Amino acid sequence: MDDDTRQFKESNSQEFSDDAIRRFLFGRLSAAEQATFEEYLFTGESLEARVRLAEFDLADDYALERLSAADRKAFEKKFLLSAERTRQLKVSTALRDRFASTATVAAPAPKVATASISERLRFLFGLNQRAWRLAFGVAILVVLVGMVWLWVKEPRIKGGIKAGIFNRRAPVPAPSAPRMAEHSNNASSIPEHRITPLAMPPHEPTASPVILSVELFTDAPRDHAQIPLIDLPKGEHDIVRLQLALKSNETGTFRAELLTINDQSVFIAQSLLSAGRDSGKVAFNVPAALLKTGDYRVSLSRADDGSKRSVASYYFRVR
Amino acid sequence: MSPAKKLQTLKQEDFDRLLAWLDPDPGRAGILYERIRWRLIAILASRGCAIAEELADEIIDRVARRVVDIQPTYVGDKAIYFLGVMNNVHHEYLKRPIMPRLVEIVDDGNEKETTHLCLDKCLDQLSPHARQMIEQYYAENKRAKIDLRKRIAAEFGISLNTLRLRALRIREKLQTCIEQCLEA
Repeated sequence: MDDDTRQFKESNSQEFSDDAIRRFLFGRLSAAEQATFEEYLFTGESLEARVRLAEFDLADDYALERLSAADRKAFEKKFLLSAERTRQLKVSTALRDRFASTATVAAPAPKVATASISERLRFLFGLNQRAWRLAFGVAILVVLVGMVWLWVKEPRIKGGIKAGIFNRRAPVPAPSAPRMAEHSNNASSIPEHRITPLAMPPHEPTASPVILSVELFTDAPRDHAQIPLIDLPKGEHDIVRLQLALKSNETGTFRAELLTINDQSVFIAQSLLSAGRDSGKVAFNVPAALLKTGDYRVSLSRADDGSKRSVASYYFRVR
Repeated sequence: MSPAKKLQTLKQEDFDRLLAWLDPDPGRAGILYERIRWRLIAILASRGCAIAEELADEIIDRVARRVVDIQPTYVGDKAIYFLGVMNNVHHEYLKRPIMPRLVEIVDDGNEKETTHLCLDKCLDQLSPHARQMIEQYYAENKRAKIDLRKRIAAEFGISLNTLRLRALRIREKLQTCIEQCLEA
């Protein structure tokens, strides 16, 4: 066995060197070497496994441009001759595109670690794959559409959100209930409190004032049993309209003064005109709230001749 | 017309007979068939045959047709028989006129993208340890191969040769996974 053959075989176990394997793949073995190599390749499983791995290594070197010009030529002419090796090169190219960088040897290890951390984050959510990126985007879109749909279709949600916003901004309401009791009898008091801007306090509906029309005559009896009786309306804005019948259809301008039985003036109405030549009445309105239970007298006098002459008196009782 | 073209198309029964001759178990027979075919291609390519795959199939066809005759009396490593037929086919090939080799170069962007997608998928199937090794093994430039591999080997606490073998075995797994993914 010559020196070449000894170098060709690393040991008595007849293992072949990595260089010999690569030369085999390039077709650069001598005739003797080739025959021996082929025989062992067909009969030895270990050499077969090493040659298979060496094929990947060579494809990687080609893809990463580590081969010399001569080796690149030999690769294209002698190695790339089967569909399987073409597929190997495609995967090597894909690995190069995926991982190879232009960093220098001096690049510190943390730089590689940083890249791997970001890569791990991408892989954590599967965003390295287009399909997962699409799915993630569609999921976000569905969530957004669902939120908009709920906002539009569910007014309770909208109202609840608005109530939550306004409650944070509403002023503190003033206290109210005790004063109303104290002034319940005061017809002129106005409710002073409001609970919140949204929760409007209940109020009585605004209704037209009741007008109680009462016709009084001068010859009406004054005694207690037969004096005209009036039941006042209860509303604070209600009206009692007093119609005073005139004697002999008098016309002109009159003045009427409402007095208590003790001649205390309650109300005065001036420039009263009779309703018409044929009606023989003058009328004026008195707020019902001014009248209390008791007897009243209306003194009618003329107001157009400056005399203020008393024309008639009219009596009624509020019960 | 080359001798190979004169051969009849291999019949299914001949192929089944070949597999049965290689090994009674169909699974093992299939593996043996692939390994023999791979060896034939590797050797023929190393000998400079431009149509190594075609010649390897021709060799297998001839052996399959001869199994009927040799099966009763053949003794020894059956793979060696292929070597003999290979030499004959190679001699016939060398006598043929040299035909220009047609190389079709197709830049299929879709296939490249699909390959990348399959690569990502297959990388996800690796263990974190294997994934890290592959990432570091391929993250190098043209000039830094040995230095970087020494550093990686030191990090993993293994020899340079062990690193190379482990990385290439992972590479082999990736190759198989990607090819299966592409066929799917």
